[in-house]
Amino acid sequence: MVTLKNVTRRLGPGVVFQCPAFHAEPGARMALWGPSGCGKSTLLNLISGLLRPHAGEIVVDGVDITKLSEAQLDEFRGERFGFIFQTFNLLAPFTAIQNVMIGMRFADVVPAHEWRDRAAAMLKRVGLEHRLNARPGTLSVGERQRVAIARALVNRPRVIAADEPTGSLDPKSAAAVMDLLLELCEEEKVTLLLVTHDRAIADRLPEMFSCYDLVKEAVS
Amino acid sequence: MSLWHIAWSYLWNRKLTTVLTVFSVALGVGLIVSVLTLREETQRRFEQEGQAFDLVVGAKGNPLQLVLSTVYFLDVPTGNISKDILEALRGMEDVEGVFPVAMGDTYRGFRIIGTTPDLMQFRPGGEHPYALAQGRYWEKPMEAVLGVQVAEESGLQIGDTFRSTHGFVQVPGAEEHDEVYTVVGVMKRSGTPNDRAIFCGIESVWDLHAHHDGDIAGAHEHHPENEVTAVLVKLATPALRFEYRDRINRNYNAMAAIPVQEIQKLYEQLLGTAKTVLLAIGYLVVVISAMSILIGLYMAILQRRRDLAIMRALGATRGEIFGSVLIEAFWVTLLGIAAGQALGMAVCAMLGHYLTQRLGFHLSAIVWSPDLVSALSAVLLMGMMAGILPAWQAYRTDVARDLAEP
Repeated sequence: MVTLKNVTRRLGPGVVFQCPAFHAEPGARMALWGPSGCGKSTLLNLISGLLRPHAGEIVVDGVDITKLSEAQLDEFRGERFGFIFQTFNLLAPFTAIQNVMIGMRFADVVPAHEWRDRAAAMLKRVGLEHRLNARPGTLSVGERQRVAIARALVNRPRVIAADEPTGSLDPKSAAAVMDLLLELCEEEKVTLLLVTHDRAIADRLPEMFSCYDLVKEAVS
Repeated sequence: MSLWHIAWSYLWNRKLTTVLTVFSVALGVGLIVSVLTLREETQRRFEQEGQAFDLVVGAKGNPLQLVLSTVYFLDVPTGNISKDILEALRGMEDVEGVFPVAMGDTYRGFRIIGTTPDLMQFRPGGEHPYALAQGRYWEKPMEAVLGVQVAEESGLQIGDTFRSTHGFVQVPGAEEHDEVYTVVGVMKRSGTPNDRAIFCGIESVWDLHAHHDGDIAGAHEHHPENEVTAVLVKLATPALRFEYRDRINRNYNAMAAIPVQEIQKLYEQLLGTAKTVLLAIGYLVVVISAMSILIGLYMAILQRRRDLAIMRALGATRGEIFGSVLIEAFWVTLLGIAAGQALGMAVCAMLGHYLTQRLGFHLSAIVWSPDLVSALSAVLLMGMMAGILPAWQAYRTDVARDLAEP
């Protein structure tokens, strides 16, 4: 499903990201675990095409994304990936349902006339059917992350890229969000790659990839 | 959920900035709309009036003064001419109509025009600017027909009487004639200078000034019935204007002028410069507005780099991001143009009211001239161009970096 071979990216003067090998099977639920600055978010960004490697091969769903043009990569990312971020990253001018619809607007995999119904159904699945028209500023942090989960899953992506999704939540909300995320990924048979520095969170996932030693001082 | 909707939502999300930017665009557009509309409309109305008569023949002097005084009732006549010239004009081939006018008096600032009844039946371009709303035309001396504005402002009604004041300028203590005019008719509103004039038989003016030992239009003569202030001439075809003007100027002790030509000269010499200056100011305001669009959007893009990065992560292409910012510039400019149109229309309505009072012209609030369409297109283009730099900034969003920033 996701395979990296000898991937390298220069991060700054004398600092380089190197991942000799990485593999995740379809439907895997894997934690990318390690301390801050170890390169786990960089790994996730490379897998999802938000960053381009300077060398190596990244194959997602049978496609070597390093060979895709900018526009092809945008399209690929919209179709195959769903994103969940630590700070939720909802768009402030839009309501909860509009935030979910925007996910479909840009991915362009769902016909436009289905957007509203599908967004409403997805928000219902995350327990927010009563908050469809609420703006992000009026939602609790837990609710915001649930809207983000709905947005990530609404296109039925092949991979969910979650970067510290519980990092801004209190323990109770974090546990609830993790329960929801794992349940939905199981239901949708979607691959979950979850970046976390929290070992307890990482231990909740069946697989874990240790990100130690991904970022190195370059050898001149 | 189109890019238009997304762009609009971001504008709505920062209402105050958007309103202020729209207002600054509206100021420039309003000025441009006002200047162009007033110029087009006044010129159109002046020329329309000027087209009614092919020539004006009067005493030698300034041809523009002759035209303004006899066609638009604005200036003091250049003097009087002999009635023999009137007879000569009547005998000329290709002359379809000659209408003598005699002036010398006013009533409450409104000019009294002595003429022949056939002028009242004159229908330039199929219009009838002398049509009656009430009463009848004069049938004997000292009967008068009022323009509608005269009736409204003076309160005079059919059957009422009034005494005229000697001269064209209303001054305290001006000498009133003893003779009394009787109102026998009120004209329909024509949107022409006729609305603010009083018409009577030419004999009335002659009689008054004979008794007055006086003058018509300032010329000291004891036999005013031998003179007229001017003659309005309608030729068989406008193509003959120049030929007849030159012929009259060469052969008679009088001056012939072509009203349309004089008015166009006036516009070119006087209002042309004013228009250029005002338009330049309008465009300057629009350029400043475009700068404010640029700065406003640029700052907005800096503030929402993360939002743009999120959209990119969700699958938005660089082109869609570029387009959405450009659409924001389009919305702001379009709203500014719409608000500017409204502002310009309000200004034109106010100035139109003034011009109605001053000139008797009814101006349309807005005239879609090619100049105006070009100017508004230029404003729209400028607004869009102002959006290019912020759109480019958005286009270059570094998704991973902007998502990582706190």
